Amino acid sequence: MSGFYTGLKYTLARRFNYEARSAGLFLFPVMSVLAVVAVFPILYSLYTSFFNLKLTRPHRVPFVWFDNYVKVLSDELFWESVMRTVSFTVMSVVAILILALFIALLLNESFHGRRFISAMILIPWAIPTVANGLLWKWIYDSGYGALNGLLLQLGLIDKYVVWLGDPDKTIPLIANAFVWKEVPLAAILILVTMKSIPVDLYQAARVDGANLLQRFVHITLPSLKPGFMLVMIYETMMAIRHFDLFFLLTEGGPADASHVLSWQIYVETFRNLSFGTGSAMSYILALVTFALAYAIIKMLGRRI
Amino acid sequence: MARILFDNVTKYYASVKAVDNLNLEIKDKEFLVLLGPSGCGKTTTLNMIAGLEELSKGDIYFDQQIVNFMPPHIRDVAMVFQSYALYPHKNVFENIGFGLKMRKYDTAEIDRRVRDAAERLHIEHLLDRLPSQLSGGQRQRVALGRAMVRQPSVFLMDEPLSNLDAALRISMRAEIKQLHHSMQTTFVYVTHDQAEALTLADRIVVMKDGVVQQIGSPDEIYERPENLFVGSFLGNPPINLLVGELVSDNAGVIFQKGRFKMEFQEEISTKLQPHIGKSVTLGIRPEDVNEQGAAVPGLSVSGTVNTVLPMGSEQYVSMTIEGTEAFFRLGKEHKHKGGDNISLDINRNRLHVFDQETERSLLWG
Amino acid sequence: MTLQSTKFSVPSEKWKYKSKRSERTRSAVIFIASIFLLIYVLAPVGWLLSSSFQSEAEIVSVPPHWLPHEPTMENFNAIFFQEFEEVTYETRRKVDPAAGGYIPSTAKDLLPSMWNSFIISVAVVILNLVVGVPAAYAMAKIRFWGRQASVYTILTTRVIPDIALVVPFFLVIKNLGLLDHVMSLIITYLAITVPFTVFILVSYFESLPDELDKAARVDGCSRLQTLIQVFLPLARPSLVAVMLFAFLTSWNEFLLALMFTQTIASQTLPIIVASFTSDFTISFSFINAAGVVAIIPPVILALFFERYIVSGLTAGAVKG
Repeated sequence: MSGFYTGLKYTLARRFNYEARSAGLFLFPVMSVLAVVAVFPILYSLYTSFFNLKLTRPHRVPFVWFDNYVKVLSDELFWESVMRTVSFTVMSVVAILILALFIALLLNESFHGRRFISAMILIPWAIPTVANGLLWKWIYDSGYGALNGLLLQLGLIDKYVVWLGDPDKTIPLIANAFVWKEVPLAAILILVTMKSIPVDLYQAARVDGANLLQRFVHITLPSLKPGFMLVMIYETMMAIRHFDLFFLLTEGGPADASHVLSWQIYVETFRNLSFGTGSAMSYILALVTFALAYAIIKMLGRRI
Repeated sequence: MARILFDNVTKYYASVKAVDNLNLEIKDKEFLVLLGPSGCGKTTTLNMIAGLEELSKGDIYFDQQIVNFMPPHIRDVAMVFQSYALYPHKNVFENIGFGLKMRKYDTAEIDRRVRDAAERLHIEHLLDRLPSQLSGGQRQRVALGRAMVRQPSVFLMDEPLSNLDAALRISMRAEIKQLHHSMQTTFVYVTHDQAEALTLADRIVVMKDGVVQQIGSPDEIYERPENLFVGSFLGNPPINLLVGELVSDNAGVIFQKGRFKMEFQEEISTKLQPHIGKSVTLGIRPEDVNEQGAAVPGLSVSGTVNTVLPMGSEQYVSMTIEGTEAFFRLGKEHKHKGGDNISLDINRNRLHVFDQETERSLLWG
Repeated sequence: MTLQSTKFSVPSEKWKYKSKRSERTRSAVIFIASIFLLIYVLAPVGWLLSSSFQSEAEIVSVPPHWLPHEPTMENFNAIFFQEFEEVTYETRRKVDPAAGGYIPSTAKDLLPSMWNSFIISVAVVILNLVVGVPAAYAMAKIRFWGRQASVYTILTTRVIPDIALVVPFFLVIKNLGLLDHVMSLIITYLAITVPFTVFILVSYFESLPDELDKAARVDGCSRLQTLIQVFLPLARPSLVAVMLFAFLTSWNEFLLALMFTQTIASQTLPIIVASFTSDFTISFSFINAAGVVAIIPPVILALFFERYIVSGLTAGAVKG
């Protein structure tokens, strides 16, 4: 009895068998949505980045090869905004990691009210960035803000300070608002890693005579490495691309003090309407995040 | 009516061959057991019957119909899984009746069949429970019931007893055999447990690394293993294997390993005549010996007992034959202890001889 | 027996004493840390809440009133119940007589924008389930050609920063003729939420045994029936998490809404609230009340479904 299905017919029957048909059907909706609203824009954005596309003169769109990239990369303003983005990111991520570690350490203990606290820390995570911006803008307010009021009452300043008007303070202050919203997620992720450390490791260390600090340094910290890595990469991605708070709190100011890369892209595309250079910048930003993301997807996707 | 035919079926996972060129006919109403160590392709074979795995090459027939690409819900098969795979959110009644519901039986019929099956499996009182509230044995029965009510033309079981404790396993074996009797349909049963295979099967298919080693009735498989693997996979304690040489002697062909010699019966001796000089493995099943007074070279083994393992109804003794440790099963009428010298008469009708190189039996197959 | 226990009673008492003392230190440290944490998390929100109950006159006091001395509901009344008339020189005083400030005419957009946000978020949640659930099931349980690739594609689309995508997003939306239409936001929010939905559900479906899937199919379920009859009922916790994330993301999103919406036909709550902050004519207390209104729904959801959120956020993310 030789095979009934042979050659091409067999291959086709296999390729389009019930399983493949179901999978195709199930994936079609998501794939078509993503094709239209994600894959196409990504590719289109790449395409635009090779043209001198300015909405101010929509009918002349020359193809300029890598000129946009060259222009962007040789622009001093671009590099300054990159440096600001870097300092914002470093500041934020370091603060997030440290705070999240302490919160996770606290929530890893069992005590009365632990559940209440772990619910409460979700509040910053849940609120809209707009509300976050509003909130901190109001706290930093030069005339009636809480920060001035508090510091004055504590006697730490003798008159109200225009916080967001000081170029040296802008980035740290915005970073503070960013950190406040991002810390809960980071803490939860680190807490989960912490919970996965086997208890007998600590018992063994105790038997070996390690004190609390030694146990922390030699067991907790090394075991937290995967969680730290994940948080670090994720928060770096979030900080690099962050836009909302810069828009809401300072609009890039005062002067250029908070003129970060995402703000620069916004200005270039939506105020100068230079879609070409805007896209080129976007792509540079995208490539950087992509490199970071590659690492994170490797970590997240490993189990799939 | 359900005859299943595998025609040159091959299954790859990536580049690994899980099943290699399988040709097998499963007869209608037969109880067929697929036996082998884990990773031998037996579960893959079962899944291919169910339609849960597609084949890479070849064809599968149900009766005259090719079912290569027929999805499982259209095939008339029922299956019992090792983990039972009960639906955690459905109670026992719903679990058992689910297959009928999906096949659009009317409620009264579902109710009748579910209660009937539950009664036969003695789980009528559990119908309202959720799977999480059942013991392992009860879950096992629900899984059986779920397959039973469908009255499928093929009944598939994937190691259904391996999660049960030993006592329950033996009683369930009897029930499954009973079930096969009353259901009058084709059973295909996968296991790595030789005892299950030997007790349940009409025919056993022994597999290893995706290749069928031997197909036959339990007796054939046990008594006349066609190769070294089948010989050593069945039997508990396992068959004793001595590597030596076939030499010619005035008694005919004999097996020789160092100073140990074993003569064969005339019939066998004739069969082995063409293989003189070959390096072979001699197999002696532990139970094929009788205790006897004096040693007769060439007909018995003798030596010093290393250890004695009393097993209640019988005892195993071990001794070293030319550097190879061998176990033999003896009745309890003789009390032995380590250091005793004994000699055992070999039942020479039941010796096995395998080619050292091809591992094939020189006597059968 | 008794003898032995007396024999050991001295060292064990001592040990007990010591552990009691260290237990007390531990409690104290935990207590103080908890207080600090609660202040850190809640004080900013509390301050916003407090100032939303203050009148324009009170809110400008120096130093600030940490708690309103004369709490007023006026700001909230203005949002929810005020008849919005054109604010004129005559009418403006009676709105907030204490301060002489006035409720902005844009304030009338607050409720419609909230409704927009709600419609958009609910639509995104529903579409997420419709589109994401089958995809996740297929990726978790069906072995098909290109499965791995599709998982990576979906995750990768989330990697590119939104800011980098607004231009092409904008062009797509424009070509679809959906500018200033809630559909524009529904589609884009779907695109940004669905990868996460799929990711969480894939890890959940994968954690359910394959044999369950096989059992259902042998029992006569098609792939779709297997999903609906067996996997959906079991995935309830993950579904809740996924719905919450989609809702919160849509409710909170700012950047894309800023780009695609122009009028109250499609403007969402964050846009309207943000527009207040740059309007110097609006009283701080009113802005803060608007902020509180924007905060309340997501915070209630987060607190109510805390358990699901935490398990969803950590689903498969940090395992080894």
